[in-house]
Amino acid sequence: MSNIFTEQPWIADTGPIAPALSGAQIATNSRRSALKMLLSVVSVFFLLMIVAYGGRMLYQDWRPTPEINLLWANTGLLLLSSLCLQVALMWARAGKADWVRGALVGAGLLTLLFLVGQLAAMQQLTAMVLGDFSNPSVGFFFMITGIHGLHMAGGMVALVRAISRAFGSSDVRAMEHNVSNCALYWHYLLGVWLLVFGLLFTGNNFEVLLRICGFI
Amino acid sequence: MEHVAHDETSFVRPAEVGEMELYHPKTWLGKYVFSQDAKTIAIQYAATAISIGMVALVLSWVMRLQLAWPNTFTFIDPAYYLQAVTMHGMIMVVYLLTALFLGGFGNYLIPLMVGARDMVFPWLNMISFWVYFVAVALLAASFLVGGGSTGAGWTLYPPQAILPGTPGSEAGILLMLASLAVFIIGFTMGGLNYVVTILQARTRGMTLMRMPLTVWGIFVATILALFAFPALFVSAIMMSLDVLLGTSFFMPAIMTMGNEADHVGGNPLLFQHLFWFFGHPEVYIVALPAFGIVSDLISIHARKNIFGYRMMVWAIVIIGALSFVVWAHHMYVSGMNPYFGFFFATTTLIIAVPTALKVYNWVLTLWQGNIHLTIPMLFSIAFLLFFINGGMTGLFLGNATVSMPLSDTLFVVAHFHMVMAVAPVMVVCGAIYHWYPKITGRWYHQGMASFHFWVTFVGSYLVFLPMHYLGIMGVPRRYFEITGTTFLPDSAESVNASITIAALVVGFAQLVFLYNLIVSAFNGKQAPSNPWNATTLEWQTEHTPPQHGNFGKELPCVYRWAYDFSVPGVEEDFIPQNVPPRNAQA
Repeated sequence: MSNIFTEQPWIADTGPIAPALSGAQIATNSRRSALKMLLSVVSVFFLLMIVAYGGRMLYQDWRPTPEINLLWANTGLLLLSSLCLQVALMWARAGKADWVRGALVGAGLLTLLFLVGQLAAMQQLTAMVLGDFSNPSVGFFFMITGIHGLHMAGGMVALVRAISRAFGSSDVRAMEHNVSNCALYWHYLLGVWLLVFGLLFTGNNFEVLLRICGFI
Repeated sequence: MEHVAHDETSFVRPAEVGEMELYHPKTWLGKYVFSQDAKTIAIQYAATAISIGMVALVLSWVMRLQLAWPNTFTFIDPAYYLQAVTMHGMIMVVYLLTALFLGGFGNYLIPLMVGARDMVFPWLNMISFWVYFVAVALLAASFLVGGGSTGAGWTLYPPQAILPGTPGSEAGILLMLASLAVFIIGFTMGGLNYVVTILQARTRGMTLMRMPLTVWGIFVATILALFAFPALFVSAIMMSLDVLLGTSFFMPAIMTMGNEADHVGGNPLLFQHLFWFFGHPEVYIVALPAFGIVSDLISIHARKNIFGYRMMVWAIVIIGALSFVVWAHHMYVSGMNPYFGFFFATTTLIIAVPTALKVYNWVLTLWQGNIHLTIPMLFSIAFLLFFINGGMTGLFLGNATVSMPLSDTLFVVAHFHMVMAVAPVMVVCGAIYHWYPKITGRWYHQGMASFHFWVTFVGSYLVFLPMHYLGIMGVPRRYFEITGTTFLPDSAESVNASITIAALVVGFAQLVFLYNLIVSAFNGKQAPSNPWNATTLEWQTEHTPPQHGNFGKELPCVYRWAYDFSVPGVEEDFIPQNVPPRNAQA
């Protein structure tokens, strides 16, 4: 067993050597690894935007975004779609192919509704600020919700592929891999949304946090 | 898990299960244009990067001609000069060096060196290159639009970058931002591929700690890039929104051309932080693959195992991690809190420790080695000299108090060219000469290669060493001309002229280099499959150049690290990684 902390690479092999992975195993592991890596990159992306938001809040002329109640409903939709995917995963593991298909379609529809809801929220904010985007917090709202929405839309491409494969095959094992990756992506983006929504777009939670940390 | 005891029988059972399925193109377009073979993609990356890099080289000549003989060349006006400065910097750092090291060397070497058939996502790999190509096309298009390309400096600082009066503040800056965003999207696709291939598709026996340092350098640099580029992506989006939608992320309330701009409350410093959060790791995105490659070149051409392999690996990892906490040493003059400056000066000096360790280890690898002064070895030694020079001046600039008077002078230009331009380019050249026989199956012309080395080596010193002197005298960077400046002696102009002559000659040598590469690919002498007697897997392929799928019917099995040179008791002075222990004793 290789250990990067203790291995002495200058000593040639004298022990047993593991057989190679199969092509299918490499593909499955690779997709999962790539997804985790991608989510790490996306984490940095959102973290930077949140830090930039907080940094700008420290200035005295900060004006917060008006609150939009529709975002609560949108958050509920995203939560439900994530839940659907989790249920789909459980059913895939239990071998219930028909139920998996239903749950996947449900997750897709709820996500579409979420995206439409986010667009409606953007329209509401545009009307509230009378098209004046010079307030930095308004700019941040559009950018962060827009980029989160684009990530969800990108995820929809993978979900649609998973749905079409689920309907085209009865191989529940293959379904499980696809559903598992979609579920991980959805749960993660739900987490990101809960963080930005809770911290930036509702109440003054971020300000309280910055005060606790001594920045304000 | 079932294991095979190969040491007793010197026989390794073949993999029992099917390998990765390869895509086999059926058309010429599929094979050479939209190829999914990492080796072809690598050559596409390299060709595109070098082509746009040649544009940047010509732009550097434009700058140098103006500085040496001000107002002699009527086609160079202040706006054109600033555009040349900006585009030269951005192209060289992002579109040439990053793309060449990661897209070029990464694609060619990762699958071969870890013993894989190809990258794990070949289709995504192909898309990654074409997205990069679109990014380069967008950048090149900015030369042609009204107002020309942006002249805001490669750092693109707002508010200057998007205000009237700055060259390219209309379409030029938007094309630059769009090009960067597209580049980052393309890189993310490629980068995920490189990382996952290294983590998941290594052949049997290729543990992480047996990987050649080339792979380690590219691996860690790719992770850095994946985590650093989002900062540039975010800033590109924010600045684009400031221009297009009138948001105020970076734009404060400001008067421009006698009128009040429509922005209120933006923070220009926020851009600087985001830019340098990307910008400093970017130095190591370029440097770490160079560190890895040069480690292998030195070891192979000195016929000696690399000194302190594990230390070298951990130094790469530690440098990568530390590179994320030094960014504000580029912002000492931005008016930051002195404690903040102290913190960043400290982290900057700390990062010098693992870097210095690497230098010591390279020198100790050379120590008492059987040094073959081949072209790759000459370039490796040149890298060491340039890197030590550039690193030493980095100690000056890393200290806030010393850096302030030197800020915005040619000293800074000389420093970063030494450390992250010339030094990595030495590695690029050495690496190309090293792997050229494998990539093309032919030898390059040795005379032209020697000419290229000596002119580049001596010429680069003639360009950048006197530039330190000009900087210490106070010659500012980015200035269109310095004539009539009372605090500068006339000798400053003479030095500028000599630098320009050297720069033109060095540039000419690069044309000879490219000519040699292109002509030798068709007319060069046939090269053997392992001309350097190297140990790594890319030299053990069945065919030279390696064919689609890289290896023969079966993937190689790795029994040892990549540095078994001059092993006592072994007849040959190298043992390839795929030679079983029993066979190595002969």
